[in-house]
Formats: sequence, structure tokens, C-alpha cells
Amino acid sequence: MLLPLLRRPQPRVLLTRWLLPPRLHAPSRGAKTRGRKSESRQPDWGSRNRTALTYIAAAGVGMVGLSYASVPLYRLYCQASGLGGAPVAGHDAEQVETMTPVKERVIRISFNADTHASLQWNFRPQQTEIYVVPGETALAFYRAKNPTNKPIIGISTYNVVPFDAGQYFNKIQCFCFEEQRLNPHEEVDMPVFFYIDPEFDEDPRMARVDTITLSYTFFEAKEGQKLPLPGYSYN
Amino acid sequence: MSTAMNFGTKSFKPRAPDKGSFPLDHFGECKAFKETFMKCLRDNHFDNSLCRLQSKDYLECRMDNQLMAKEPLAKLGYKDLEDPPPSQADGDPKP
Repeated sequence: MLLPLLRRPQPRVLLTRWLLPPRLHAPSRGAKTRGRKSESRQPDWGSRNRTALTYIAAAGVGMVGLSYASVPLYRLYCQASGLGGAPVAGHDAEQVETMTPVKERVIRISFNADTHASLQWNFRPQQTEIYVVPGETALAFYRAKNPTNKPIIGISTYNVVPFDAGQYFNKIQCFCFEEQRLNPHEEVDMPVFFYIDPEFDEDPRMARVDTITLSYTFFEAKEGQKLPLPGYSYN
Repeated sequence: MSTAMNFGTKSFKPRAPDKGSFPLDHFGECKAFKETFMKCLRDNHFDNSLCRLQSKDYLECRMDNQLMAKEPLAKLGYKDLEDPPPSQADGDPKP
């Protein structure tokens, strides 16, 4: 019964058989367990390899799944908490109602207007600067004129300098990121309604910032083109 | 716009406006209010705090002429300029 289990006596087994006193090395018991170990060692390796491969494959599939799930997860988490600079939907509306102006901190907003070379509009701000305080909503105007004989559609984007202050510059309503059509020889006023976040005053990095420059640039848009709005907020 | 490919340098991320885009005032319906506001700004050395009444009038004109979604003025930050409701007889808005 024991001999089939013991396929080939290992050299170590033979050595211990000679070295150890006979009573410590009970041939039947030791041979049985060692035999079983040597016999099951090969299928043991096989099953261990299989389980290891299964775990690795599961981890690989998990990683791929996580990379697909990361987009909605990011939206869920970061849109709610506002981390990463993405605009927080719904949060700003309440803030406008409840914020109080910080009257001691006067900031000068200067305005800049640019057009792309191919756009034939005359686009300029109607005021070069305006003095606001954080927490107070402000209105500013740009003017655009189409001097040509055909309607031109423009679309604009904006830029705020210094970049760090840009996160505190909240626009409630403006004329950017949507197509604006100007008929021939038409001149319109384009308002920008914005406010500076009251937390601007509490940020130590903004302590020496007195001037913020808002710069709009108009580009010519093709008919029917719609730019995706930046960030994840879709109106 | 910062287009430098430097890792770690801050770049500007434009954000969409909260309430979207103003429709263009093609017919100049609110031009008078805008002129009043600009005159007020020029007279007061471009101080926005002193011209809030005129900017409120301009936005109200826009709302009346379907050029802006109607919203309570408090939501636009004009809580202190709103008329007190008739039930509040002696309520004084903060200066």
C-alpha cells in the first residue's frame, strides 16, 4: 500500500533515513506523508498556478473595467465636491444670493477684446476698466459691429489673467461659447454679468492681486457648428 | 491661453457661464438703459458699486423684453436693491 505512494525516494529522504534514529523516523508514517507530499506536489503546483493566473486575470479585467468606470465616477464625485476646478452645478446659484460684498477690497477689472484675423468684426470693450469688490455682481459691455455686407457668425472664448484669479472669476451670463450672428452693418452691445467670489479676499495667494484682466476673443464660426462647453456642465 | 507643455504650470481653464449666454439685443431695446449705465460709470470713475441701480435696470429691461430668463433679483445679487415686500412696513434693507 505504501509502495505505490512512494514513487522515487528522494535523496534527502534517504539521508534522513540513515542519519535519524530509527524511532524518530518511522518509515511508514514519514514515507506516507512524504510520499503524499511528493505525489501531490505536482498537481499542487498546477492548481496553485491556476489560482494565481485566475487572480491575475481577474485583476487585469478589474483594471480595464475601472478605467471604463472612471469617467462616470469622476463626474459623480468631482462634480459634487468641486475638486479639480470643474464647475459645480447648482452651487453657484445659491452663492450669488447669499454672498455679501467685501467692501474693503477693491479690484480693478480691465477689459480686452480680440478677434481672429479672419473675422471682420469690429469688437471692442465699452469701458477700459471697472472697479468691483468681491461678492458683488457687476455688469460690463462689449460692442461688436459687422461692417461687411454679409451676415457673419462669431463664437468667442475668454481668458482671465492672472490664471490663479481665474478660478474666482464667475460669470453669471455672458456671450461666450455660443454662436452669435451679426447681420450686415449691425452693431450690438454684448453684456457680461459676473462677480468675483468673496473667497478671493481670503486667499493668501491673491493678497497682492489688484488687477484682473478679462480678455475675449472672437472667432468666425461655420454655420451650424456648436462648440462643446468646457467642463462637464451641460445646460 | 497657456499652451506651454510644461507639467505643473497652471493654465487657465475657461468655464461656461452659470446661466448660459445672453441673446443678442439685435433691436437695441435696452440700449437706453445701457447708455444710462455707461454714463453712470463714466461719472463715477468706473466704480461698479455706485452704479448697481442702473445695472439692475438694464437687467430688468432684458428680462421684460425676452432677452434674459426671468429670475428674482436676489438670485442675481441685487437683494439689497430690491423693494421690500408690502407686508413689511418698517423693514429697512441694508444700506
